[in-house]
Amino acid sequence: MTTKNKVDHGLLLIVVGLAAWAVPGGGHFIIKERKRAIIIFVTVTLTFLAGLYVGSIAVIDRVGAKPWYAAQIMASPAVGLIGNIVEVSVDEAGNRKYVSYGRGHDVGQIYTSIAGMLNLLCIISAVYMTWCGRGEMIGAEEDDT
Amino acid sequence: MTPDMGAILGAFTVPIDIPTDPMSTLWMFPLLLSISIVYKATKMRVLFARRFAKEVAVLFGTISVFMVFLGVVLILLVKLLTE
Repeated sequence: MTTKNKVDHGLLLIVVGLAAWAVPGGGHFIIKERKRAIIIFVTVTLTFLAGLYVGSIAVIDRVGAKPWYAAQIMASPAVGLIGNIVEVSVDEAGNRKYVSYGRGHDVGQIYTSIAGMLNLLCIISAVYMTWCGRGEMIGAEEDDT
Repeated sequence: MTPDMGAILGAFTVPIDIPTDPMSTLWMFPLLLSISIVYKATKMRVLFARRFAKEVAVLFGTISVFMVFLGVVLILLVKLLTE
């Protein structure tokens, strides 16, 4: 492999990793693993949205629940935006506008965090497939059919 | 924003009420299904619909049975220690 190719391959790994983080399944989509990409996108997104529905958007708490937030942010950078909305939304008394409590909070936090961890697995998988060149081979086969 | 859209978005601002009873443990099963699907989607070398569905079902069943088994063991342990 020439130096230029090595640089290109390194850049591709970074692009695939970032795409996989930005949109669940995005990394696999870039390397033409489209079936995989759709399955990952639907599953991770539904799991994350189910968590938000059950526990409300207040389960994204980057101040009071940092370890959970670290897992949740792996689902997408958009989680940071939700965390920001939750943090800055306060009423006149300075209390948070969006709150989460009870068993719904626990279930929501677990769902969103697991969705983030699953996406981390997918990021690693997409980068590894790119590194091995597996995506190119299998992706090409998928294109032919 | 339409009223329907507002109602949908509004549903994400308040947590739903889940009672603290044994039935609430059923919430783990959709999560186990998600884990099984994503794990198999990353693990299988080539995705064939039938084989994929079969492998997901087997993994989901295995994890579910183990979790139920673990639950029973923990209940028995608690009973043993507290009664």
